[in-house]
Amino acid sequence: MEITMYHYLFIGLILFLIGVIGSVLVKNVIKLLIAIEIMLTGININFITFAAYCGNDKFDGFVLVLFYTALGAAELAVALYLFYLMFRKKESENIESYTEL
Amino acid sequence: MINNPVVFYIASFLIIGFALLSVFLKNIIYSLLCAVMVFFSASIFFYILGSEYNAIIQAAIYGLAIPVIIGLSIMFTTGKAKSRKESILPMIIFFACALFIMAFVSLVMLPDSFHVMELVPFNSYDVISEFARGIYIDYVWAFELLSLLLTIVIAGFTLFRIKGGKS
Repeated sequence: MEITMYHYLFIGLILFLIGVIGSVLVKNVIKLLIAIEIMLTGININFITFAAYCGNDKFDGFVLVLFYTALGAAELAVALYLFYLMFRKKESENIESYTEL
Repeated sequence: MINNPVVFYIASFLIIGFALLSVFLKNIIYSLLCAVMVFFSASIFFYILGSEYNAIIQAAIYGLAIPVIIGLSIMFTTGKAKSRKESILPMIIFFACALFIMAFVSLVMLPDSFHVMELVPFNSYDVISEFARGIYIDYVWAFELLSLLLTIVIAGFTLFRIKGGKS
C-alpha cells in the first residue's frame, strides 16, 4: 500500500488533537506545556508534509519549520520561567491556582 | 524521501502511543520521557519526508534541549509539591510492545523491503544551500523578526531576574 500525503496529514491532525485534548484536560502546568509542544509538533509535521509533496523547490516549508522550532523553544522557556516565578509564591502545580498573573 | 509503509506505520504507532502516554500518565517524569520519544519520532517523520536538516534540528532542540529545561523546572518545583505514586505497568507494556515490533520489523521485514543506500539521497550541499537561501534571502525579514523576538526573550529574562533579586 502506498503512503500518500494524507497519511502524514492525518498523523499531524491526530497529534494536534491529542495536544488539544491534553491541554484541556490536564491540570499540571508542565504537562500543559508538554501538550502544547505536542500540538506544535503536529503542525510541524503538516508543514514538512506539504513542503515535501507539493513540489517545493525553495524549501519554504522546511524553513518555516525552523522558525516554528525556535519560536516554540523560546515560548516554552518563557512559560516555564513565569511558572517558576509564580510557583515560588503559591507552591502549587495546579493550573487552577494561577488565576492571576 | 523514503516512501516505505513499514517505516511509516512504525513511526505512526510510536508517535501516537507516546503522545497519548505523555498526556494521560499522571507522573510528570514519565510524561516527560514519553514526550521526548514523541519528539524523536517526529524527527523520524521529518527524515522519511526528505528533510534531514529539520530532523537533526528537531532531535537536537526538542529531543535534547527542551527536556533539559522541563526537567530542571520539574526539579525546582515538583519536589516541594505533593508527590504522586503511580503504576508504571502501562508504560512498561507499551515500551515492550514497541521494542518487540521494532525488532520484528527490523530483523524480519525490513531487509527485504527497504534498501537504505538506494533510497536516501546524500546531496547535503544542495540541501544546506537551499536552506541558507531560504533563511538569508527569501525570508530574511522573518529571520530578523525571530532574532528580535529571541533578543526580547533574553532581555526579559534578565529583567525578571533583576527584579526578582531586588524583591
